[in-house]
Amino acid sequence: MEYGYYPGCSLIGSAHRLNSTTKKIFKRFGHDLKEIPDWHCCGAFEYGNKNELTDFSKSNLKKAHGFCNDIVAPCPACYKNLKEANQDDGGSFSILHPLDVFEYFDIVESIDIKHDLEGRLFTPYYGCVLLRPKETAIKNKDIMENFITRFGGDVDGEKVKDRCCGGNQFFINRWATEKLSRLIIDNTHGDLVVFCPLCHMALKTFSENRKVIYFNDLLLYVMGETDKL
Amino acid sequence: MQQTDNNIEHTIFNIEHLNKKIIGMSGYKREDFSVCLGCKICASVCTVNDLSIDANPQELLSSLFLGRTVEKNHPLVLFCTNCYRCTHNCPWGIRIPEIIRAFRETLGIESQFEKAFKGAVKIWGRVYEPYVFLKSATYMLKEGYIRYVPKWFEYISFHLPYKIKGR
Repeated sequence: MEYGYYPGCSLIGSAHRLNSTTKKIFKRFGHDLKEIPDWHCCGAFEYGNKNELTDFSKSNLKKAHGFCNDIVAPCPACYKNLKEANQDDGGSFSILHPLDVFEYFDIVESIDIKHDLEGRLFTPYYGCVLLRPKETAIKNKDIMENFITRFGGDVDGEKVKDRCCGGNQFFINRWATEKLSRLIIDNTHGDLVVFCPLCHMALKTFSENRKVIYFNDLLLYVMGETDKL
Repeated sequence: MQQTDNNIEHTIFNIEHLNKKIIGMSGYKREDFSVCLGCKICASVCTVNDLSIDANPQELLSSLFLGRTVEKNHPLVLFCTNCYRCTHNCPWGIRIPEIIRAFRETLGIESQFEKAFKGAVKIWGRVYEPYVFLKSATYMLKEGYIRYVPKWFEYISFHLPYKIKGR
């Protein structure tokens, strides 16, 4: 299957790992990601004028017309903004998060296990925008847990999986991010598994020895694409 | 006395005008807030409380609705993390983070980093991270972010800025 692809600004920069691993997984399952030409920044959470913010994503949808019907956006902020603009525009596209695609194609079942997660403990952490607001949330709010346990791993952190890491305040009030991130780090155990570039940076910055990994890294490890996690 | 009355009227007009602008920017109309039941569930779930700061989004909504002043240093204006816990739990789904963003932009409460972010989008249509970091370098040095650089090596990648065609 072919999808339009909206990487967003962080995935072509600091979250390059999320970009490359998303492409790798989709390719591995026979799906093509075609980058929308000349896409514009979605504005993330930086704009106070709602129309201005929505117009950024609407212009991206305009560029995707005739190019694709389904758009995959891995960054939670981009995904939310695109999905809202699409709903506002009458919903002619399907805006998908990779987690929704993984769920839809039940890739957990189709994976040929090369490494299991037996004896390892993980904290799947979703953060905010993947789960809120309701209108733009991903479909399965336990997909990361389902995946980890299916491959023999143990999970922790149910109580904090949807708490805020404060990533949005990282370059404004760093102490606030530190305090909020530590609430998540200190109340959980095992490797922290995330899908948001901002959560990754916040948790990694303030965790001492805890490993912070993208969910994609976990998938690639189980699939045998990497030997180390 | 007449002068004082004029000043008060002028101030009230300014506050009402400002509140109207903020409400409009966030995509709402003033009457949309009249549905707020005052249940304060937003206050009970607000992430800002986790910072040991009392935060009450419902009170901020009331102030905007009633045309009262909201101070620049209101805890939500300073510390809202855009987590949408308030919206998620609100019986009406009121999008308080978006109202607070409109507030911050209207009052020009932006850090050097946020200004650099918007500056990059204006130039290229996208955020070019090296530009954002250079533009906010003094702020980041002053605020001690430099100590985290060893943890950020995995985020480094090199690419040139690309100016998009069309908007």
